Amino acid sequence: MHTNLPYSTPAPSRAVTIAKAALLFGLAAYFAYTIVSGSLTNYINARFAWLSYVAAILFAIGGAAALLALRGGPRTSAFGHSRTSLSMLLMLATPLVLGTLIPSRPLGVDAINGSIRVGAASYGAAEIALVSKSPLDRDILDWSRAFASEPSPSAFNGQQAKVLGFVYTEPDYPPNTFMVARFTVSCCVADASALGLPAYDASAGVLEDGTWVEVAGEFQAGDFLGQQTPVLHVAQITPVEAPAHPYLYP
Amino acid sequence: MTSSAAHPPARRWLGPAFTTALLIGIAALLLTRGDPAVTLGIFATRFLGIFIEAAPFLLLGTAVSGLLEVFVSREDIVRWLPRSRLAAPFVGAFMGFAFPVCECGVVPVARRLFTKGLPMPVGVAFLLAAPVMNPIVLVSTYIAFGFGPLLIARFAITAAVAILVGLVFALTARPEEVLLPASLAPITGGSGAKATDRPRLGPGLIRAAQFSVDETFDMGRYLVIGALLAALMQMFVTQEQLIGIGSGPVVSVIVMQAIAFVLSVCSTVDAFLALAFTGTFTVGSISAFLTFGPMIDVKSTLMFLGVFRRRAVAYLILIPFLLTLLAGVWLNLLLR
Repeated sequence: MHTNLPYSTPAPSRAVTIAKAALLFGLAAYFAYTIVSGSLTNYINARFAWLSYVAAILFAIGGAAALLALRGGPRTSAFGHSRTSLSMLLMLATPLVLGTLIPSRPLGVDAINGSIRVGAASYGAAEIALVSKSPLDRDILDWSRAFASEPSPSAFNGQQAKVLGFVYTEPDYPPNTFMVARFTVSCCVADASALGLPAYDASAGVLEDGTWVEVAGEFQAGDFLGQQTPVLHVAQITPVEAPAHPYLYP
Repeated sequence: MTSSAAHPPARRWLGPAFTTALLIGIAALLLTRGDPAVTLGIFATRFLGIFIEAAPFLLLGTAVSGLLEVFVSREDIVRWLPRSRLAAPFVGAFMGFAFPVCECGVVPVARRLFTKGLPMPVGVAFLLAAPVMNPIVLVSTYIAFGFGPLLIARFAITAAVAILVGLVFALTARPEEVLLPASLAPITGGSGAKATDRPRLGPGLIRAAQFSVDETFDMGRYLVIGALLAALMQMFVTQEQLIGIGSGPVVSVIVMQAIAFVLSVCSTVDAFLALAFTGTFTVGSISAFLTFGPMIDVKSTLMFLGVFRRRAVAYLILIPFLLTLLAGVWLNLLLR
């Protein structure tokens, strides 16, 4: 074994090594839990879930490597400052503490904070996929893409739709009007953005904000906050459980 | 070398300063929004989202770093790389095809390569270019945008900026003025295995894993602070508020650079996010998002502080910012 390492630091104490191993196994367990419990999709696009499998495995390997270090004698380190300090341990413990103590919830109505995109939203070439999708199978994102690809809102008059989302209202919305909203997530919730379809329900009052609903009806072009856009005229609205995957993925 | 030598006095206040700023920010957030429990929950979700997305890439980067430490010698690095100062950044800009890592993984890899004697300008160009100039990002950008102006612009601008910054550093600074002492190659010997004295595979892998653990804790703290800061900024400023600032040929580019900096989205997947902006923003601004973001964002800035001196970090942010801004504005005017 080579012995020419330039910087030699004292071996970390047994307690620090055990703390490192415990933290790494803890993080491995946390990642595994988010995968098994399904809460992973509260944080990232389901498309990238496999990366969390990789993380869980690598954290566990790191924990095992840290434990193996307990068997060995004094070890040299490549960096003079790479001896693990208390601040490093605390920092790596932060996600574990927050992830464990704060119940996992997807972003919902409270996270919108007035920032919601209405109607048309462009997602580039993805509009092509719409051609093969039946209107009743389209979600809010699909409809937004369809609106973006068609300049005239009245082109959707009479089209039937059934969408899932949560209720969102603002004080300046017209009477009996609300948004059926979802968050879109491209990568992780860092880029989450709320997207809504205006809906009009003449027959009843609007449900409480944040209630997950399935809304069926047909589109009619109308004015919504000064903008001409297809508005979903509600024929049936049913409160439902929040879906397992709450976000839409562009 | 002692710990204090690795962290000179001027740097000692950095950790407490960031921690204090974070705590003040979180306190302000909780006091100025409605229900503190709900606000804390949203903040935690945003933070964990960034951490969960970035952690695998950090771990892959530190794993590569550990393998380099044990299995690659300084002699190997010297043998593989050009001697010419001016040619070096060109090699650095394309090293991502050998080490396909994103902006989280590239920092530990670059730091380890520096300790192996990687010439500073090569490492600087590698650090800036690798998050884009690698096969994974090439494919993801192609899937998102197809072969067209944005794909070409992303790779051409990234390579040009990385090479230019590498050249600037090569011509104007010495390694010891740019790198922290712990990132510098020792004057004699070299970190890790000598070419003639490589460890056997099994013990070598265990040793590599143990070095990776050290690296994960060292670099991971910057990732955690960066993710906390990014989540905090997102609680105060939303994408929609930034988008609302403007859509002109210059302002739109700056806005998209700001969004890229704040969101800190991994470069391997940011092309899919950029798709969402194609109808709203100019081509130049999207290209700035796709080039500036992978080089510089909140968490990578924090991680740079573990490798470079503060003044060098300032230049590493400022020059790519200005160059990608110029490129974005030029594209906007060209494609008008």
